[in-house]
Amino acid sequence: MPEKRVLLLGNEAIARGILEAGVSVVTTYPGTPASEIGDSISEIASEAGLYMEYSVNEMVAVEVAAGAANSGVRSLTAMKHVGLNVAADFVMTLAYTGVRGGYVIVTADDPECYSSQNEQDNRFYALLSNLPCLEPSDPQEAKDMTVSAIEISEKLELPVLLRTTTRVSHTRGPVTYGNLEKAKSQGQFIRDLKRLNMVPAFSRPKHTVLLRQAAKAKEISETSPYNKVVRKGTEIGIISSSSAYNYAVEAADLLNLDAGILKLGMTHPLPERKIIDFLNQYDKAVIVEELEPFLEMQIKAMAKDHAPNVKIYGKMDTEFFPREGELSTRLVGEGLAKITAKPMPIDIRKIDEKYAETKKDLPSRPPILCAGCPHRASFYVIRKVGGDKTLYPTDIGCYALGISPPLNVGDLMICMGASVGTAQGIRKATGKDTIAIIGDSTFFHAAIPGLVNAVYNNSKIVVAVLDNQTTAMTGHQPHPGTGLTGMGSPGEKVLVEKVAEGCGTKYVKVVDPFKTREASAVLKEALKQPGPSVVVFRSPCTLMDLREKRRRGIKATPAKITDKCTNCMACIKLLACPAIGVEEGKAVINDAFCTGCGLCISVCPYGAIQGSCAE
Amino acid sequence: MKEFNIVLAGVGGQGTLLAAEALGTAAVKDGLNVRVSEIHGMAQRGGAVVTTVRIGDTVHASTVFEGRADVLLGFEPIETVRNLKYCSEKTLVIMNTEKIPPTELASKNLKYPSIEKIARDIGLFTKKIAQIDAAELARKAGNSLTQNVVLLGALAGTGILPLKKQSLIKAIGELVPAKYAEINLKAFELGRHSMEKGKEA
Repeated sequence: MPEKRVLLLGNEAIARGILEAGVSVVTTYPGTPASEIGDSISEIASEAGLYMEYSVNEMVAVEVAAGAANSGVRSLTAMKHVGLNVAADFVMTLAYTGVRGGYVIVTADDPECYSSQNEQDNRFYALLSNLPCLEPSDPQEAKDMTVSAIEISEKLELPVLLRTTTRVSHTRGPVTYGNLEKAKSQGQFIRDLKRLNMVPAFSRPKHTVLLRQAAKAKEISETSPYNKVVRKGTEIGIISSSSAYNYAVEAADLLNLDAGILKLGMTHPLPERKIIDFLNQYDKAVIVEELEPFLEMQIKAMAKDHAPNVKIYGKMDTEFFPREGELSTRLVGEGLAKITAKPMPIDIRKIDEKYAETKKDLPSRPPILCAGCPHRASFYVIRKVGGDKTLYPTDIGCYALGISPPLNVGDLMICMGASVGTAQGIRKATGKDTIAIIGDSTFFHAAIPGLVNAVYNNSKIVVAVLDNQTTAMTGHQPHPGTGLTGMGSPGEKVLVEKVAEGCGTKYVKVVDPFKTREASAVLKEALKQPGPSVVVFRSPCTLMDLREKRRRGIKATPAKITDKCTNCMACIKLLACPAIGVEEGKAVINDAFCTGCGLCISVCPYGAIQGSCAE
Repeated sequence: MKEFNIVLAGVGGQGTLLAAEALGTAAVKDGLNVRVSEIHGMAQRGGAVVTTVRIGDTVHASTVFEGRADVLLGFEPIETVRNLKYCSEKTLVIMNTEKIPPTELASKNLKYPSIEKIARDIGLFTKKIAQIDAAELARKAGNSLTQNVVLLGALAGTGILPLKKQSLIKAIGELVPAKYAEINLKAFELGRHSMEKGKEA
């Protein structure tokens, strides 16, 4: 049979690797840029005979998968970089127990914060935990390394980290398939307290075992085909990994450098001998890497004793490469040009000047809540009731877009679930009305302990759960509140209001955000409660709803502005809906975008907008 | 083969990702090396979206260096201007004239920049501009959502794409739902003819 070569997204390539590695348990919590790994597996899981779940959060995801791996079956968990913070408590000690079946944790970093709250470099988790780490640079490697990571994990009996970045996970490239491996789904749990029960007496010796395995991992790294000199040269040596490697190769070509390039694919533990041999061929070496100087710090430490005469450039000295943000061929090219004193062949300054000229008055187009989004209705209600004096800690999801004017809701946003905890401190310190804003998936993910805390300590906060019945921002994955599982089968539906009541919240109400008067009345009442209260604003994500309606052949009926319009522009000033624009000084509804949600009909003070409305 | 860089710029929801995937899929069908960059999640919610397709043996990175685009395929006029940094005098700009006014225009009571101003801005970078009313052609094809495929047709119609027309048509057929395949093919042909006619003129 001829080799099959197809165009795959980096994340799809990892999913393919999962099938080629015979992984039988896959867990995830969706998060950009990692989401498509779980989604691709979810689509084919039952057909392929493997188990896939959208876990409630990353901590539970690693626990489920590691439980399976410790019962001898191959497993994998995928998450975005900050997900590993949630899972870290478990992973740090899982490094001590180790695993029996291969277990890989995919962590997708997000340089430039395209869809994240920070740009932490998760390679440091490898250093912190002593676990091996692989870094693919393109979709082909993403697939191949998934298979290799499972093999290395099984060989060392340690979990292995596979670290991608947005530009690896979300780049499409040709991938040549390997053979599929049948997943072994039946495991066996072998009781072994000394190995698996990390009470102090057993964990102390396991630390020694971990260090011994890490030393073995270093030998694997020394001979790994992923750590290789891909180009010989005389002028300068470049060491690089991941997407940064792609920029380094192209920048070296652009500058016509006779550069040697050592590409690192296994970046923890580092292949010290290979690196030293490479360094000693040059007077000057450059480390090109994205985010923190992870390689640079370690390589400089090695070089101090073993390659003391080589001048090593990187980003610890900020003169050459920025430490923050994502790299590009341009940024790497400019750094290399400075280091080698060669001119850039393209006059970028001229491009920059012209570009600045054209960008000067260009309207911006930030991401916004979609036309028909129920969050817009919720924010309108929350703003109307809470006003400027109320404080609004918020959370991770589409509703983080509530900060845009005129909604202006979202005063503090840190991480999943934090709205509920931070609200309690804000309330304590300011005595002001405080409404925590959180989504349904995020509520299940990390807000429940925070809510229990509020009940227990009687913190007078309102938790507004913006329940759109899906995990919208990451691509509409199911969660416990949807009653659907990653296998595509029905599951038990866990209701936010029941959980809130179960936590001991005395005032729990569910409202339809499009019924703005009723929702406002409930929210006012909630703010008057002597203790914590929970108001669930429930209405399905409009994208999901429209898709469902299209499937059933139902067409949206757009709202219409009638002659009664006085041009007061209240609809625009209060809602900033993308379906309402201005033409010749008049508000107009764009039929192509309007979903007929009816929110503008509710807010129009003159009753000048026609259509169906929830009120 | 020398590298060939395409920048696709538009608004979340316009189908830039599908267009880019079709180009990438066609490249793989033709046995070429290719990289396609995408941005998902937060960046997609009605915001400005840029995706790039790079074809050629020497291509490693999925993103395009400033001034190195062979084609800027603008799905919307403002978004075309927003991505001019990828252009040089060698770049062909194909711009959809269908406007999607950013929400801030209405709330700040601002006007959409005139098409003359936009053409002037593009002119600072390149004289090779082709404007196309993809919305009109998409409606003619039978569905206004096929503007992305009209634009792919226009791109194919210029004759500068290092891809076989049949591979691109096949790729589009694989990526759109089967029941819309015919409308999309029509959209592609309408786009292609508009550009071929333009060349003759």
